[in-house]
Order: sequence, then C-alpha cells, then structure tokens
Amino acid sequence: MSIPAGLKYTKEHEWVRIEGDIATFGVSDHAQEALGDIVFVELPEIGRKVDAAEAYAVVESVKAVSDIYAPVAGEIIEVNETLEGEPEKVNTEPYGAGWIAKVKISGHSDELMSDDEYTTFLEE
Amino acid sequence: MSDLLKTPLFDAHVALGGKIVPFAGYELPVQYKNGALKEYTAVREGAAGIFDITHMGQVRVEGVEALIFLQYVSTNDVAKLVDGQVQYSALLNEQGTFIDDITTYKINDKAYYLCINAVNRHKDVAHLQAEAVNFDVSITDESDETTLLALQGAKAQATLQALTEINLESIGYYKFARGKIGLAENISGGIISRTGYTGEDGFEIYIPNAMAVEVWDALLEQGAVPIGLAVRDMLRTEMGYALYGHEISDKVTPVEAKLMWITKLDKGDFIGRNAVKARKTEGAKKRLIALKLTERGIPREHYKVFVDGIESGEVTSGMHSPMAGGVALAYVLPEHATEGNVSIEIRGKQVPAERTSLPFVRSNVQK
Repeated sequence: MSIPAGLKYTKEHEWVRIEGDIATFGVSDHAQEALGDIVFVELPEIGRKVDAAEAYAVVESVKAVSDIYAPVAGEIIEVNETLEGEPEKVNTEPYGAGWIAKVKISGHSDELMSDDEYTTFLEE
Repeated sequence: MSDLLKTPLFDAHVALGGKIVPFAGYELPVQYKNGALKEYTAVREGAAGIFDITHMGQVRVEGVEALIFLQYVSTNDVAKLVDGQVQYSALLNEQGTFIDDITTYKINDKAYYLCINAVNRHKDVAHLQAEAVNFDVSITDESDETTLLALQGAKAQATLQALTEINLESIGYYKFARGKIGLAENISGGIISRTGYTGEDGFEIYIPNAMAVEVWDALLEQGAVPIGLAVRDMLRTEMGYALYGHEISDKVTPVEAKLMWITKLDKGDFIGRNAVKARKTEGAKKRLIALKLTERGIPREHYKVFVDGIESGEVTSGMHSPMAGGVALAYVLPEHATEGNVSIEIRGKQVPAERTSLPFVRSNVQK
C-alpha cells in the first residue's frame, strides 16, 4: 500500500497536493484497490466551484459507481483528460498520471490527514 | 451473525485473493486478486475461466410421470429432448410471469435434472412439490450436496479432458454426459454438460461437494483462471442472456422478455399458457431491447431510457464492455422498440444510444 509523504489525505481516501493556492486531487492507492478496475471517469467542468467534501467527479469500476469528494474547496482549473481514454491510470498510477483535477483553492479544510495520520487511519 | 452460506470452495476463493461479497445467500468472490478486467480477458481471449456457481440449485425429478409433469410445469417442449440433452426453459405462474428460468437435463424418460437460480431455489422447490401432488413423480432438492463449476473459454475442453474419462469431444452443444471426474482413486460420478452463460465454448460440471476442492485445484493446475461474479455478469450481459431479477421476474411474461422461443404454446397445456396466449394476442406491455451508447458513459441497472424525449422504460442490465463499450438491456414501451431516438439518462444527462442486435460481442459457442 503506497502512501506518499508530502500529500494530504481524507477519510474518504482522496489525496490532495497543495502547492501555493493550487491543489491537485486524486484517490489513494487504498481507494483504487478497493474500487477495483476503473473503466470510466466523469470529470468536472472547468470553472465549477466545489466545496470541501462535495462530490466533484465520478469513477466507475466494473461493478460500481463511486462519487469522488473534494479534499478542499476551490474552483476547478484543470482536469486530467487522459483519464477519458485511459481510466486505468487511476489504478496503475493513483498518485501520478491518475490525478483527477486541479483547483484554485478558496478554502482550507482542517479534516486533512498527513501521510502518517492516514497510515494510522487505515490501520484502525 | 451472518446467515450467509459458504460453498465448499470458500477457503480456496480466499486463498486466491477473492474479494468476498454476499450474493444470493452465499459468500462468493466478486473478483480475485488480479482484477476483473484480467479475468475477462482470460475468458474472451483464449484461456479457460473457472467459476464457482455452486449457489445455483439442482432438483431431481423422477417417476413414471416425470415427462408429463415437466411438460405441465415448464414452458419448453420437454418431449423434444433425447437422453443426454439439455434444454433452456422456464417455470411460469398462472399469470404467465416468471417463477424462474431453468435448464432441464434429460437423463431418461423417468429421470430429469433441473438447474435453477439460487435466489429462487426455495420458491421453485415449493412450487414443484405442490404441483407434483397430482403426478406420479418425486422432487428431490440436491442443491446442498452438489457443487457446480463452470469452465468457459477456448481452452475449456483441453483443460477438462485431463481430468475425466468422459470423451468431451463427443459432447455436443447443450448435451451432457455422466461419468468419473477427478484424479483420485475413489472419485465418484458427476455430470458434464456443454453449456454455459458466457458465449464461449465450455462446460458446466456437477459434482458431489466432497470432490469440489480436488476438482477445482486440478483445474487450476491445468491452467484454468478463476473468475468472479463481476465478470460472470459482464460475459452474460454481452451475450444478452436474461438474468432473473433483471430481464425476467414475476412482473413480465415471455412475450415481453423475448423468450417465446422457449415457450411452446402448441405443446399442450402448461401453467401460464393461457395467460401468455392472451398477452401475445393483446400485445406486450413493454419490450426488451439491446442498446449501445454512442457517446462515453456506462449504463447501469434502473437508469431511465428516453425515446424522443419521452420516458419509455429502464435499463435492466448495463455495463462497460471492454469490446463493445457502454451497452445495456432495457425495457421500453412497445411503440419504442424499433422507432425513435433513444437516450439513457446518466446522472441527469441524456446520453444518446442506438438499438443494436444481440449478442453485443461475437459468440464463440459452437452450436
């Protein structure tokens, strides 16, 4: 189970990389494994404003449809269009080529966990 | 406490990294550790997939009136069967709607074997026993003693032949043979039929529970790939095969479900016949059609289907087919079965679809 340092994590198993006022969102290794083979990703519209913990994307595995929640509030400024053709990147590179969207941060969340805290959370 | 049942292969599924889910009253693997798509590829692209479908029920029907009994309780023409032949059929109620869909195995004129759906097992057995009162026939539920495996894919025959003295080449499509299966000295008998639910060549193997682990392990040793419930459902949906609780139920008759080919109205009286006849005359209330999305998306069960902007029905089975894209089986109003622009509502958006013929992907079954 990969849990890279330097990212923040949510209880819903999303990760966020915060660089200045830009945040990149994705799902954790644990999440992609639990979801199984991902065959479809519905990306949000550019310009959409999302609240922390609001569903901003949908991933579909062979059997299930799952909402993906925003770790922090912001405005969607970029989406990973690669996932439209290669949704399996979420499985193979959840922290890299499988990122989902970038936002311009409009608010912070105190619900985020460090990698160590997320590791403990998963063990509980 | 869980009331869920385990098949004799439960530990084997866990050892293979099976992700266990509740299904039809059993704890069964939805997929194994390599994931559903690899399992799918194994079955569709040349290997042999092995499925534990022990949850399905088996009922033995024996007695001098076995044939006339089955003619009365099931829809297909049982008299057409020769010894060693299998037939797809259905049990209807007096309203002409489905109690279950079944396969009927003819051992001889006085002995038949029915394979029934797990979810309907107790209902089916009670129904058969109630009807059997009027016939010289006995009904025996052998489900708890029987393990059922499906071995499906291009390599199925070669994989299974190593384990049995039965000459598999001699078993034609929808035929079966009885004989020894397994490797141990004290092996007992089983049934092997050239049947399946995948659109690939392959077999279904009925064995006593005591042989389950040995036969499963031996088939894995021969290179068979274990396949979970998720891919079983994908494979059957790609073929357009009906599944009880989805395309068929006690709300629809064979007229709606496109199953008049197993409903022989001229074979003589049977339960539900008059109701089906009447429905056929008055016309179906809705019709089952096959749809393919023309834009990105995955149709799922219960998604609404619109035709020319009018809500017409809903998806009964939908999926992302690795070979065909977003595909669905759906009921629509009869007037929309062949005419009008179709769309499927996915999370509030209308995604265009087109009617298509079945199967969604090419069948490799040799009939």
